[in-house]
Amino acid sequence: MSAHDSPDPSKAVLWDTHYHGHDVISTRSFGYFLYLLSDGMLFATLFAAYGVLSYSHSYFNGQTPADFVHPWYTFTQTVALFLSVLAYGMGMSAVKKGNKAGLMNGLIAAFVLGVIFLGLDIHDMMDLAAHGVTVQTSGGASAFIVLTQVHAAHIFFGLLWILVMMAQVAAKGFTTDTVGRLLSLRMFWHLQAIIWVFVFVFVYLWGYMS
Amino acid sequence: MLVQVPGGWNPLLGRLAIDQIPYTNPILAPLFVAVVIGAVIILGLITYYHKWGYLWKEWLTTVDHKKLGVMYIILGLVMLFRGFIDGLMIRTQQVWANGPQSSGVFGAVHGYLTPFHFGQVYSAHGLIMILLAATPLLVGFMNIIVPLQVGARDMAYPYLNALGLWITAAAVALIMISLFVGDFAHNGWFGYAPIFELQYSPGVGVDYWIWTLELTALGTTLGGINLIATIVKMRAPGMTWFRLPIFTWASLSANIIALTSFPALQVALFLVACDRYLGSHFFTAGFGGNLMLYTNLFWIWGHPEVYFVILPAFGMMSEIFPAFSEKPLFGYITMVAASFAIAGVSWLVWLHHFFTMGAGPDVNSFFSVATMLVGIPTGVKVFNWAFTMYRGRITYTAAMLWAIGALFLLLVGGLTGMMLAIPAINYMVHNSVFVIAHFHSMLLVIVYAIFGSVLFWFPKVFGFKLDEFWAKTMFWLFSAGSVLVFVPMYMLGFMGQTRRLDYVFNTAWHPYLVTEEIGIAVYCLSVAAFFVLLYVSIRDRVKNRVGQDAWGTSRSLEWLTHSPVPFYNFAVTPHVNARDELAWRRHNGINEAQPTQYVDIHMPNNTGVAIYIGALTFVLGFALTWRVWWLCLLSLVAIIVLMIVRSWRGDPGYIITAAELEKMEREAMQRQQQVEGHLPHHGGQAVPGGAMAYEGQKVSPLGTPPSSGGDHH
Amino acid sequence: MLAAAWAGLANAGIFWIFDPKGTMADTNLHYMIIDVVIMGAIVGITALLVIWFMWKYSKGKNRGKYDAHWSHSNTLEVLVWGIPIIAVGFLAYFAVKGTFEINPYNPTVITKHMAPKGDPVHVDVIATDWQWLFIYPQYHMAVANELVLPVHTPVFFRLTSTAVTSGFFIPQLVGMIDVMPGMRTKNALESDRIGVYQGIASDYAGAGTSWMTFPTKMVSKEDFQNWVSKVQASPKTMTYASFNRFAEPYINVNHRVVYFSNVESGIFDHLMMEVMNGKTWPLPPAMTENMVAYMQKQAAEHRD
Repeated sequence: MSAHDSPDPSKAVLWDTHYHGHDVISTRSFGYFLYLLSDGMLFATLFAAYGVLSYSHSYFNGQTPADFVHPWYTFTQTVALFLSVLAYGMGMSAVKKGNKAGLMNGLIAAFVLGVIFLGLDIHDMMDLAAHGVTVQTSGGASAFIVLTQVHAAHIFFGLLWILVMMAQVAAKGFTTDTVGRLLSLRMFWHLQAIIWVFVFVFVYLWGYMS
Repeated sequence: MLVQVPGGWNPLLGRLAIDQIPYTNPILAPLFVAVVIGAVIILGLITYYHKWGYLWKEWLTTVDHKKLGVMYIILGLVMLFRGFIDGLMIRTQQVWANGPQSSGVFGAVHGYLTPFHFGQVYSAHGLIMILLAATPLLVGFMNIIVPLQVGARDMAYPYLNALGLWITAAAVALIMISLFVGDFAHNGWFGYAPIFELQYSPGVGVDYWIWTLELTALGTTLGGINLIATIVKMRAPGMTWFRLPIFTWASLSANIIALTSFPALQVALFLVACDRYLGSHFFTAGFGGNLMLYTNLFWIWGHPEVYFVILPAFGMMSEIFPAFSEKPLFGYITMVAASFAIAGVSWLVWLHHFFTMGAGPDVNSFFSVATMLVGIPTGVKVFNWAFTMYRGRITYTAAMLWAIGALFLLLVGGLTGMMLAIPAINYMVHNSVFVIAHFHSMLLVIVYAIFGSVLFWFPKVFGFKLDEFWAKTMFWLFSAGSVLVFVPMYMLGFMGQTRRLDYVFNTAWHPYLVTEEIGIAVYCLSVAAFFVLLYVSIRDRVKNRVGQDAWGTSRSLEWLTHSPVPFYNFAVTPHVNARDELAWRRHNGINEAQPTQYVDIHMPNNTGVAIYIGALTFVLGFALTWRVWWLCLLSLVAIIVLMIVRSWRGDPGYIITAAELEKMEREAMQRQQQVEGHLPHHGGQAVPGGAMAYEGQKVSPLGTPPSSGGDHH
Repeated sequence: MLAAAWAGLANAGIFWIFDPKGTMADTNLHYMIIDVVIMGAIVGITALLVIWFMWKYSKGKNRGKYDAHWSHSNTLEVLVWGIPIIAVGFLAYFAVKGTFEINPYNPTVITKHMAPKGDPVHVDVIATDWQWLFIYPQYHMAVANELVLPVHTPVFFRLTSTAVTSGFFIPQLVGMIDVMPGMRTKNALESDRIGVYQGIASDYAGAGTSWMTFPTKMVSKEDFQNWVSKVQASPKTMTYASFNRFAEPYINVNHRVVYFSNVESGIFDHLMMEVMNGKTWPLPPAMTENMVAYMQKQAAEHRD
């Protein structure tokens, strides 16, 4: 029993009528951050699987990333995604000033740039398929495609979320709920960009150079 | 891009066809009839007593962590029963199909289950017991107890909590429907590459297995987020980290494991799905796939998972021992450190599940030593429980018996675990029934801890104690069953019996198999004792009513509030002054002190969105299994739409005014005096207010009562 | 010696793991005894301690002193952490030593005993759905579902599988090693005791796994040579093409044993290449839903 740190019982406070509970946005952001930890773990596992399937025999004498990766094309995707994150961040500075128009502009820009990223990605995958590289080609191709497309799927759902937020902010303005969600979406968007750095470097570039 | 599946496929029904329903199966067809009759009776009774409104308002749309916890526990107990039946079927098949002279019925050459069916039975048994029985039971307890122990009014995210429950229920529904539509996986609960590939498992069984696991993983991850956030953010004022009750610490370490490890499972299974649906080559033997990758990915989740289930069980034991030894837990800080040490090291040991896969002596040695390291903090816990009893005043209530039983089982499981940790031994007993006996010993630690916790915390949740005599009877019968089943199993492991044999070739093993079957019969008796326990306890509930401090010697914060717990938990948030707050107050004579002043409190509304989304995840899982693509898309879109709708509406909650609170509290205190003052003179009267708190209470028009309001339709 | 006493006690011959008949299995048992003795001592003492406390501090009996606040002791902390740490230290030493001694790929317990002029027997093991084919490349012969080996001779295995993963296990002679399609594992054994021992497929491999057992006969060197001659005189031969037919799904309910002479060399490596290139042996859905019917169908195919 922690006798040394408990107060004098006759003077102890037993009930807290002034405790108004937790800060809502802080609690929700913390929970969302925890979800993002699990999402990071999801990608870590996919990277582990990719690592195991990135040897030359994993590509089963077929095309390897050295053959089908176009680094400058993927760099364009990178620029689009990073600009999208930047736009979103600038939108969030507008929130600090209560500037609804500023936020909407940021969201629209982030959305458009995200769509560009996704469009480039889809075009890349179709191009791969036309050249005979699909998940059915080899273990290495499976890993390459699934890892990159899981990231792309996250981007897709993020774009959907941006649209929903645009609608919510337009209708309700800045409330505890909407601002809290914008903060969570910011974390999500940033995480996807961070994951993209790893994908770009370790999957596209490294694969291209091996 | 999608693979051709054997057995045909059409755009409307996917792989569904009338021959996927086993209407000629001699076991399943009567079972189906029995299930339908049972369902009709239950639904009929609910309709006859006009309880649909009650059910919808109080249970199906609730976000109250206590009710959600109770539903988790009910789900877990039902699945524990089904898993037990599966186990009984396994044992019966093995004792029957022993030796080339054994008879066969129902199309089996030996025994009554063909390999096709036997494979499904033990795969379902494993999956159900670990993920759909033990996990919901533990999650249910963490749901009910943790917010009370930290002095909070609910979990951090009540709606997410409800969502987690209904997604888990969807997973349960999916595995239950696999009994009657299609078949289940036959490759064990954890799966092997490449036997789960489409060529070697051409039916839908593996698909059912994949989506059931994916749904469970999702539900558990959501629950993990909720619990961690509650513990970090929602503690009552004065509850510093080192005043946290030990069960809450255990829940925290366990859920950190869950949050970080379940994504690995989701990925592993997703990649299996890619192989089976898209024809990818993650785990195929050819085309550059790597079948050992699956085993690694699965067990990277699989080992932390077993610590995820055992740490809360250790936490439960750590609550029960001090309460019934009338002493604080020995070495509180060490126990906390040991929990986190176990959680940390659990990430470094996964290869010990497949030492025989040929990794080489360096790798095998590393994982062997790491596995043995986990034994150190576990041993520390055992000693600390022993020293909690030392110089205590031990009362042998049924709950204490279960906890002590768990301790002895841990000794056996730990010893056999240390044996398995050494490759030189492991090569002889890997995949033998020795391993099965080992992990069942460990799982029994969890089961014992759960049964002990049911007895320990039941009075807090429902306001009356369970019958001690029948609880102890159940304990002794269950323990006798455990000895009779698992001691012969250890011996059979040393005799060389490997696992998952639907035909057991060695008749020299027969006496041991028979002993195990007798053990299963004794287990059946203990199940019967459990039902008698429930009946007798409910019958005698008025006699066994308790006040807030049900056992008189409990130590932590949840015993400060009324029994049964009111829906708002604490009328005024308690201020915490010490570790083992209730024990401190009782020691200083202030445990009965009530708040002098009340303030308005804010509660979340009920919502139907959670159960709708849960139901849709079931539809999605079913549609994915049967490859009914239009239904997949539809249910996925519906889920997203519902999420957006819910997000749009939000939940402002509702207020309970100070005046209403004061009124409800005064009534609770009157009941408390009735219980503690003298025996009630009105025998047969139901516990006032219903078994769970305050259902019949009407709240003043100023605040919307919990049973209506909010967005559910 | 201890092992012999143990085996004698425990219903001689039935506890295969306690009744090793080969070098590898002997080593397994050796380490098991060490582990059980160390851990058993700790666990036993702890159990007795707990029982003693349960008896002494029972409420109302006034046998032991009650101390309501005692919950910490530095001395005890040192002990409760120290004893497990020391025990694990000892066991870690033995664990690592043992892992290298019976490493299936290079077991020092066999290789350091090997006579300089060697003379080991090599066996290529192929697990199919659901039979075992043992190819003896040195003798250009193969045997299905029976393993015959000479005593006092190291035997080195290369193992693979056609379709799914299983495990090669002979409890009284050698511990398990997985067999996997498209991959090559290794194992080794040596025995000096003549006898017949049970071999088992220890990993679930599908419907026929329970019948995938094989007797392992350790015979004298002369008997082994005679047996080799017998197999080499078998009228059945095996090429890669006939191996493909052999590997088709077959549940070995009658434990048939087949001898093949003039076995084409390189079947093992050829098979691995084929599997790595994507060859599979697909199974029909719900194959053994009615096992009796399936066995009739199998018998009708006249593969016996």
